[in-house]
Amino acid sequence: MWNHIKRITATSLGWVAIAVFIVLTADVLLGVFSRKILGDQVRWTEELARFLLVWISFLGGAIAYLDDKHLGVDLLVDRINPAAQRLARIVTHALVFAFALAVMGIGGTQLVIDRFDSGQVLSALQINKAWFYLAVPVSGYVISLFAIGNVIALLAGATDIVNPESNDGEVPS
Amino acid sequence: MTEGLAVLLAVFVALMLLDAPIAFVIGIATVMAAWALGYGDVLISVARDMGNGLDSFALLAIPFFILAGDLMGAGGLAGRLIDFAAVFLGRFRGGLAMVNTLTCMLFGAISGSAAAAVSSVGGTLIPEMNRKGYPKDFNIALTATAATTGLLIPPSNVMIVYAVVASNVSISALFIAGVIPGIVVGLLIMGVALIVSRRNGYGGEQEHAAGEIKRSALVCTWRALPSLLLVVFVLGGILSGWFTPTEASAVAVLWAFLLAVVIYREVPIKMLPRLAVGSARTTGIVMLLVAVSQAMSGLLTEEQVPKFVSEALLGFSSNPLMILLTINIILLVVGTFMDMTPAVLVFTPIFLPVAVGIGIDPVHFGMILIANLCIGLCTPPVGTCLFLGCSVGKSNIARVSVSMLPFYGAMFIGLMLITYWPALSLWLPKLLGVMK
Repeated sequence: MWNHIKRITATSLGWVAIAVFIVLTADVLLGVFSRKILGDQVRWTEELARFLLVWISFLGGAIAYLDDKHLGVDLLVDRINPAAQRLARIVTHALVFAFALAVMGIGGTQLVIDRFDSGQVLSALQINKAWFYLAVPVSGYVISLFAIGNVIALLAGATDIVNPESNDGEVPS
Repeated sequence: MTEGLAVLLAVFVALMLLDAPIAFVIGIATVMAAWALGYGDVLISVARDMGNGLDSFALLAIPFFILAGDLMGAGGLAGRLIDFAAVFLGRFRGGLAMVNTLTCMLFGAISGSAAAAVSSVGGTLIPEMNRKGYPKDFNIALTATAATTGLLIPPSNVMIVYAVVASNVSISALFIAGVIPGIVVGLLIMGVALIVSRRNGYGGEQEHAAGEIKRSALVCTWRALPSLLLVVFVLGGILSGWFTPTEASAVAVLWAFLLAVVIYREVPIKMLPRLAVGSARTTGIVMLLVAVSQAMSGLLTEEQVPKFVSEALLGFSSNPLMILLTINIILLVVGTFMDMTPAVLVFTPIFLPVAVGIGIDPVHFGMILIANLCIGLCTPPVGTCLFLGCSVGKSNIARVSVSMLPFYGAMFIGLMLITYWPALSLWLPKLLGVMK
């Protein structure tokens, strides 16, 4: 059941990311095309690009957490006994949960509410800047949900967290 | 101030040792330190800094170059580049070692990922070199070190990360500045590989790499040309003023897509969603790090940490040569256990003001930083390229580390040349007018 929810979430996030990538590429190319060929850059391309960048970054961050791909330093943990290793993993995922929920989730929600109240709009797109910041709490809630799931799974006896659907990833260096 | 920073440092080190994801380590340490320093509204302000930290058109080049690199790397890029390198260099003794180096440099530049270069180029060339009488550990060591040169040769994502945290550094200038240092480090690695191979008789009589290539030099060049054009488009577009670096990266995505799907037809449409999700994930890893680092560096600047570090270093010595050496040594140590992107994000705000204070150009400092941290990618205990090389080539880190020694030498000489010879980095961008 849990793995099912995880898979559905990962797949949906993936499709949103694909859509964002397509729109982003088209948007930036339109910017170049309009400036170089038509001689007058479309006003909203850069603002839309920055708006979508923040979304793909935070959604990608959530996907990376679901696939357990965020960079860490396995200097010590790989060398200690399995019981201590499991304890270290529980603490780690609990900390991710705390940060994702408190800062990205709750702090982010407050930020979005403040922005809606202030009524500040992005100049070219004419939408509230809150929609830009919304990426932070959305990503935060997704990460915290699966982080607490990982903590529970580890407490219940799982030794490691691996997403069944995760394909072998490349390391960004 | 001191207690707050002590909290930051203690939390940082403790969580790193627990193998917590570095992005979250930085975030949590920042929140704790801000609390210890008595800041108000910490949760909301860190969330805001994270959002604002990514609100940059320049950063957009990162996901585009990642996507373009994934599209390029998914097809037969490695094979075409190997043929291209082999047709020119393969006929000499020790030729395969040179072919390996050149292919890694080209692949690293085009795909923008040293890790991808190790697995794609190494996956083909390490077994090939094993067959031709080169020892396995030497081949792994060579591939891992040569792959890092792609991070200096443009386009390079880590330069964009550096440009954004350093603020007011031109990405175009960094890209052009990296060309000569990247080639110099590559040539040093190639030279060491050649000396070691010839002295020990690696390859020897069994090597006929060029003879095995059925195609002529012209055909091999023609086949590799479209991929190489990616670099030409990006740099040419930027230099001619047609594109900003971000726009160039979007053009690179379009070109990579056309090559993979239409021209070479090596990537089936069905594979694209999976590939794009992988790119989004890699983007997320890098960008979440950038976001939290922006929050942290805001705090560090607020507490005048860079000024503090700067005074401490200048109190230790006022000789620029010594200060650069000190920074280099600290970074070498950092690089052994920290990946390149987080290291650049954490240490740029601290060391760049020191470097600028003693008259180092920020573009030049970027080259020093990257060349230095490249060494860390190949050192235990944490070295992405070394680890990946060991898993691709099926050996262990202890054995490969011994074969690494001459290559560490080459990289270190490269680092010293880049550090103490500013013109190596700055001559070309000045000549081409991308910096004053």
